[in-house]
Parts: sequence; structure tokens; C-alpha cells
Amino acid sequence: MKILIIEDEKELLGVLQRSLEKEGYLIESSSDFHSALDKIVSHEYDCILLDIMLPGGSGLELLSEIKKLNKDEAVIIISAKDSIDDKVNGLELGADDYLAKPFHLAELNARVKSAIRRKNQNGNNLLNFRNISVDPDNRTVNVEGAELPLNRKEFDLFYYFLTNAGRLITKTAIAEYVWGDHAEESNNLDFVYYQIKNLRKKLNDSQAEVDIQSVYGVGYKLI
Amino acid sequence: MQKRSLKNYTLRYFVIAILGIIAIWAASFYLFIIEEVYDNIDDGLKDSEIRIKNEIDKNAEILQTDQYNLGQFRITPLQNGDYRYATHIYNDKMYMPYDNDDEPVRILQNIFLHNGSPYLLEIYTSTVEEDELLEDLLFALMVLYCALVISLILINHFILKKAWGPFYGLLTRLKAYQIGDKNRFERSNTHIKEFNELENELAAMIHRNEKAFEQQNQFIGNASHELQTPLAIVGNKLELLMEDEGISEDQMRKIGEINRTLNRMKRLNKSLLTLSRIENQQFGPMERLVLNNFVHQGLDDFGSLIEFREIQVSIEEDGKFESEINADLGTILFANLFKNAILHSPKNGTLSVRISDTMISIKNPGEKPLDGQKIFERFYKDEQNENSTGLGLAIVRSIVNLYPSLAIGYRFENGHLFELKKIL
Repeated sequence: MKILIIEDEKELLGVLQRSLEKEGYLIESSSDFHSALDKIVSHEYDCILLDIMLPGGSGLELLSEIKKLNKDEAVIIISAKDSIDDKVNGLELGADDYLAKPFHLAELNARVKSAIRRKNQNGNNLLNFRNISVDPDNRTVNVEGAELPLNRKEFDLFYYFLTNAGRLITKTAIAEYVWGDHAEESNNLDFVYYQIKNLRKKLNDSQAEVDIQSVYGVGYKLI
Repeated sequence: MQKRSLKNYTLRYFVIAILGIIAIWAASFYLFIIEEVYDNIDDGLKDSEIRIKNEIDKNAEILQTDQYNLGQFRITPLQNGDYRYATHIYNDKMYMPYDNDDEPVRILQNIFLHNGSPYLLEIYTSTVEEDELLEDLLFALMVLYCALVISLILINHFILKKAWGPFYGLLTRLKAYQIGDKNRFERSNTHIKEFNELENELAAMIHRNEKAFEQQNQFIGNASHELQTPLAIVGNKLELLMEDEGISEDQMRKIGEINRTLNRMKRLNKSLLTLSRIENQQFGPMERLVLNNFVHQGLDDFGSLIEFREIQVSIEEDGKFESEINADLGTILFANLFKNAILHSPKNGTLSVRISDTMISIKNPGEKPLDGQKIFERFYKDEQNENSTGLGLAIVRSIVNLYPSLAIGYRFENGHLFELKKIL
């Protein structure tokens, strides 16, 4: 799978590239409007990560160019602008998702996977991992055919781990993903532990072939 | 130093000054008049002296007049001797039948020689009774003084009202002016040069202040915005670092601590951005909404946290609180109020929410009252909670400040009680 990252901050570009490469994607990148436009026009990608604030032209212009060319790449806008208006604007112009900086790598990963998955709607949309099958649209989880009942937050948490399988997710990233802006202070991190403990128990009880491992107190990894 | 009204201030000086001026003037006037009066009288006396002496030359019998008579003079022969042959005029009192009392007279005394013999000539005439004259004059002066003072007070009052009218109007408008107010400072077109200048300068100053305020607000927003990218870079690099092989447990914990502090910065920055956008009125239009919904939504969003902390929630809903508010701001407002209440509730505590048509209150348990003014200020923090940004309640206040019909308040009543009220 190929991903094009359009971002003018070189440092940030580097981290994003390294993180996505760990997931096995092939990464191409551009740091300004014109080279980005060139790449878009001449190549195909599965997903494009687009920074709106670019030298040489607005990222939104690139977006409209992409739409004009009728390309079917999944486009995720990454931007330091966090206002709801900006989000609505971006989505209306045709972006598939909008991620505000700063974000966690695990979050980016999950969004990229979701965006690509949605683009490749070929009927069968299940996420399979070992003896587990997840239907993201219906929010159900089956382990060896039997349904594993999870509440809303538990499902979100499990899905997050599954899309980031093998990757470390920090406690804060988990808290923010599941509880959004309400994730605040250290109390919440105990809260995360408590939720994961419950999830682990359910997974164990259902014989799922995964485990959620604690990593030295800074986060968890699904293995 | 006591502040006096302008009216009284000028009046005091006027009253004292006039008193002084009138006193000095009255004294001078009196002396002047008296002198004139006496001059006149003395001229009359001297004239009589000359006439009498002329008559003596014609008719020596006159020298026999030894008692005061109709001529109002008398002549007394003197022993031979050395005399000063001069004229001397002085005041004295003499019995007057009409008044049945001694009245003041002025007497001219002259010693002269007639045919070698000395004679004393005395001529008298009525004069003003100085006492009474003085009394009359003083009385007239007091009347004058009072009349002047009263007119002064009245004129002062009217002039102040009229001339200073624009000034007081200016004062009223200044009092009503708030920085960042949409109501611009209105200009009056006063004809008085000084007030016009004052108004010009004030308007210019207000304009400068508004610009500075706007720039400052935008600066905070712009700075926070710029910070997002470096914060993202550091955070993401740390995340990658934590995935490196060969990191010891100890190192991992340390990196974890750095990450947590970085997250604190991220949250702070985000709150600053929100606060800046609220104050720069960058949130969208308002709608007429039922705030009860935000309460329910908030409690729902915080549901798992409430459950985890074993907090009991009690809701009393006795009405529908409707208000014009922007939907996103409504969500943020209640999210911050609930977050605040939940984080400061002990385990097993009770969160009480009451809703009526005109008030929504949220109460969480607490021991000591908080400072109702300070808690809404930026960066004011409860000592125990070092992870709090200190901006939550400041955000609540900024949102409420956008809507004049809403007000937020705190009071301690067996717990920390926050009340959102509808005013007007």
C-alpha cells in the first residue's frame, strides 16, 4: 500500500514516515504545493495525508485538484487548525477525515487504516486477526464464531488495539482515543488500567488469541 | 483627601474671596465716605467762621454771644495771655431737645484777637452719628453679601449644568464603556473646545487600547497555534523512541514521564487556543437551545469516569433552561463544569445537578469555601491538582461573558456550588 505524505515540517514528516513504514506501507512525500501536485497527478496512492498550511498554495486547493482529477485516494487532512469550522470545511471539500495536530501515532495509524478500508468497500469489510473477526460497521466482535459482547467504549478500545497490533500505545493515547477531550489527568490513567483489565478478562474468557501486554507502565501493546 | 464635587469646590473659594473683597472694600468705602462727610462739614464750619468774623467787624455786639443760639456759635472772652491763634475742629456730643439725648456734633474752635483782646469762638454743627452710620453700612453690606452669594450659587449651579453638561455626558459614557465592547464609544458634538479636545483624545486612546487588546488576543491564539507543530513533533518522536529495541525499564519510565509532561503542555496549549477563540469571538452563531440537553450529554460523556470514581449523580429537573448560545460553546461550557466537579469529588461523593427554567446548578462535595472571584481567573489552580491547566473555569467564564443574559457564580453551601443563571 502506498501513502503520500504532504507536509512542510521536515521533522514531522520524518516521524510520520517512520511510523507508517513500520506498518508496512510504502511512503512518498512532498514538502510544498507544486511537487505535491506533480506527484498526485502522476501517481496512484491508497491514502494521502495532506497538511493544509503549505508553502506555495493552500492544501485545500490541492484537495480540490484531487477531486477534480476524480482520483479515489483516501484523503486525510492533518492540520494545526483545530476549529470545528475548519474540520467541516475540509470534509465538505471532499476529505475523508480530519486529524488535528498534535495527534498520537497510534491515532494516525487507526485513521489511515479506517480511511483505506472505507475506500476499499468491496462488500466484505471485516477485520480479521487470528481467531478474531471484527465488523467495524456494526461494531461487533466474533471470536471463533461466537460473538463477544463489548460495550461502546470496550469496542473502541479493542478496535484501537487491533488496528495498532504489535505497536506500543501510550496510556495517554488510549485515554484520548476513547474518552476524547475529557481525558485529563493522571486519575484517568488509572482509569485506563481499569478498563484494560476488564477488556483483558473478556478476551481471556472468550479464548481470543490475543493479549494486551503492559509496557513498563507507559502503555500497552496488543500481541 | 476627600473628593469634593466641582461645584462645591469653586463655591468655597468664591465665598471666601468675596468675603475678603467685600470686607476690604467696605472698610475703604467707609473711611472714604466719612472723610468726605467731615470735609463737607468742616468746610461749612470754616465758612461760618469767616462769616461770623466779618459780622463782628461790622457789629461788635456779636462778641456778646456767650451762649449757643440760633447762630450755633458762641464767643468767650479770654484772659490776656499767650495763645495759639489757630483753628481746631473736633467731635463732641451735645444735648439735642428733639432727640432728648446727647447727639454727636462737630465743633470748630478758634482763638482770635479783636482790638487786642483774645476771644474764643466755638461753632457747632450736627454731624453723622458714626455708630449708626456704621451699623447701616454693615447691614447694607451683609444684604449685599448674601445677595451675591446666593446669586453666585444659583449661577454656578446653572453654569455648571450647562457648561459642564458635555463633560458629565462624557463621564457617563466612559463609565459604560468596556474594553472589547461592541458598543463603540459614542461621540457627542460639543461646542466647547476643551471638551471637544478631551473627547478626541479619549476616542483616540480607546481606539489604541482596542487595537492593542485585539492584537494581544490574536497573539495568544497565534502563538498557541504555532506551538501545535513542535508539540506534535516532540510527542511523535517520543512515541517512536519508546518503540525502540533495547530500552531498559528504567529508561522507559523516564521517557513515559517526559511524555506525560508533554501531554500536559498539549492540553494547556489546547485550552489557550480555545480561550483565545472564545474571546476573539471566533465561534459561530448562536441558536435558541435548551441547555438541559447539554447537561445530559455531559453526564453521558463523563459516564464511565463517573462510574469509575464511584460518584453518585443526582439530578432534579424542574424546568427547561432555554437560552441563545452557540452549540459548540454550550458543549464546552458544560464539559468544563462537569470535568471540574468530577475531578474535585472524592470517591463515593455525590454530584448534584438541579435544573430550573432560570438556573442550572452543579454541586460537588467540598470542605473549605473557595475564593469565588479568583477561581474564574486564568491559571488559578487549586493547590492539590498540579495536572489541572487552571483554565477550565476561565473558559467557562469567557463563554458566559459572551452572552449578557447569562451569568455564572460560585458559592459554598455544604459543598462547591456553581450556578448558571439567566438574568434580564
